[in-house]
Amino acid sequence: MYELVHHIADVRLRVAAPALEELFRDSVRGMYAVMRGASERDSQPVQRTIEVDESPDTTALLVDFLNEVLNRAQIGHELFTDVLFTRFDGTSLTATLSGIAPASFEEDVKAVTYHEADVRREGEAWTTMLVFDL
Amino acid sequence: MKLTDLEKINDHLWEIPKSHRPDMHVPARVYATETMLQSIVQDRSLEQLVNVCTIPGIRKYALAMPDVHEGYGFPIGGVAAVGASDGAISPGGIGYDINCGVRLLRSSLTLDEIRPRLEKLAHSIAREIPSGVGRGGSVRLKGQDLDLILRDGARRAVEMGHGREDDLKHIESGGRLDGADPHVVSQVARERGFDQLGTIGSGNHFVEIDRVEQIFDEEEAARLGLVRDGIVVQIHTGSRGLGHQVATDSIKGMMKAMPAYGITVADRELACAPISSREGQRYMGGMASAANFAFANRQLITAGIRRAWSREFGDDVVEIVYDVAHNVAKVERYPDVGEVVVHRKGATRAFPGQPVLIPGSMGTASYVLVGLDGAMEQTFGSSCHGAGRTMSRTKARTQINAEELRGRLRKLGIIAEAGSSKGLVEEAPEAYKDIDAVVDVVARAGIAKKVARVVPIAVVKG
Repeated sequence: MYELVHHIADVRLRVAAPALEELFRDSVRGMYAVMRGASERDSQPVQRTIEVDESPDTTALLVDFLNEVLNRAQIGHELFTDVLFTRFDGTSLTATLSGIAPASFEEDVKAVTYHEADVRREGEAWTTMLVFDL
Repeated sequence: MKLTDLEKINDHLWEIPKSHRPDMHVPARVYATETMLQSIVQDRSLEQLVNVCTIPGIRKYALAMPDVHEGYGFPIGGVAAVGASDGAISPGGIGYDINCGVRLLRSSLTLDEIRPRLEKLAHSIAREIPSGVGRGGSVRLKGQDLDLILRDGARRAVEMGHGREDDLKHIESGGRLDGADPHVVSQVARERGFDQLGTIGSGNHFVEIDRVEQIFDEEEAARLGLVRDGIVVQIHTGSRGLGHQVATDSIKGMMKAMPAYGITVADRELACAPISSREGQRYMGGMASAANFAFANRQLITAGIRRAWSREFGDDVVEIVYDVAHNVAKVERYPDVGEVVVHRKGATRAFPGQPVLIPGSMGTASYVLVGLDGAMEQTFGSSCHGAGRTMSRTKARTQINAEELRGRLRKLGIIAEAGSSKGLVEEAPEAYKDIDAVVDVVARAGIAKKVARVVPIAVVKG
């Protein structure tokens, strides 16, 4: 699950999930919720595979992964709502993204920042904060 | 941060002493009134400013302008100078939107002449200048064009037919930063930028038609071609996806490189590397390239405004007053600290005699200032860059009704052309600080003097 948290200029997202891969998936969904298609009715479905390697730690892997998702979104004019991981080891991953190609986006996310990102175990859940630069 | 952590220097300047935290190399200074300061300490701006004081090679002090608000790494409205030979460059000290900036145009028309066709003009500008968010713009760069834009900025845009040679005289650095190295701009950054030239983006980016409401300095106003009730146009945008990706690539690279240089930072967004290092030099070359892309972007948007203007008003000539960057790093020299690299993140260069453009929110006012000697003595030649947010986007969306806002703007005589209601309410006047108070601080501090106050009559948003 994710929720929007107060930030004066940008977007702050709190994400929590029972498993690490779900935390990554919910973060993708949170980013989609921020960007959204301005009109999604006739959007074509899309699927992309991305790889991220050699991130220094799991927190950096999440931010690097989301920035790769953002790149695919910005370059292909596509938005992603789901993800399937075929490789995931904490510092690298391979993922298949599923989503849509809308006519335009509602919001332009410039980057996913490392600011406040901190993937950690809290009781039964994996959690992190994410700040998107708008 | 508590108010008691700050020491008052005078009515508009406060200091967080170096002793506040053991890892600070220099103190931090904040330009603000006591009332403004009470608001500033509500977010994490000043904690972020203290973190800036830990950057290797920082000189004298880290500065916050009166429009400061929380960002990531650096606060927005932050200025820091590091030694050119021993300092570290931090991409987070410039921000993701490299050379986000403001361009001011002027028309020879008056409000009475423009008013009957204003709605049509605003609509025409909105059609000429797409947001480009999620679909790109109408210009697709081919062959060597992107490399030439990255190298030569607005100059190349003019050579491609998007303006006049004379335009370049009225742009900071002539619309072209030296030191651009297009080869270090990644393929991903290029792909993000190739269809975004001539687009405005979303968020707080806009094109705004304004009326010159008040002239404070007749001589300076005459020099800039500004007259009371004259019509001006502001463009606020930056380097779009290309610049964002240059920043992302650089922060990622520097995070990996920092251990080799023995650098640790309080916030990963402050990732930095020695300016002389491979990573530092790559960033400087990439940043200058992205800055040039932004200068070219504002040049193409100017061309779009001129086309729309020409359709409505025939041969009225729209001239550039000035164009300033407010997210950039520059090598500069000051008598007391020598050669430094000045990081400005949401801060405008304010060299003596240079126009300083301070956009406000869509329902209030904006200012044209001119830099003073005091800026060179106090702020590494820097001033504020805008009003600064005081309400989050999420709060604005829940508290402000789009139709009520449109009605309120209409009553003020302001036409709003917005791509989305969400984008409109997020930028409502009440989401911003009082621009008059912000500008008063820099004027009273002797950083810049007021030349003109302009008020909006039409706003075009992505």
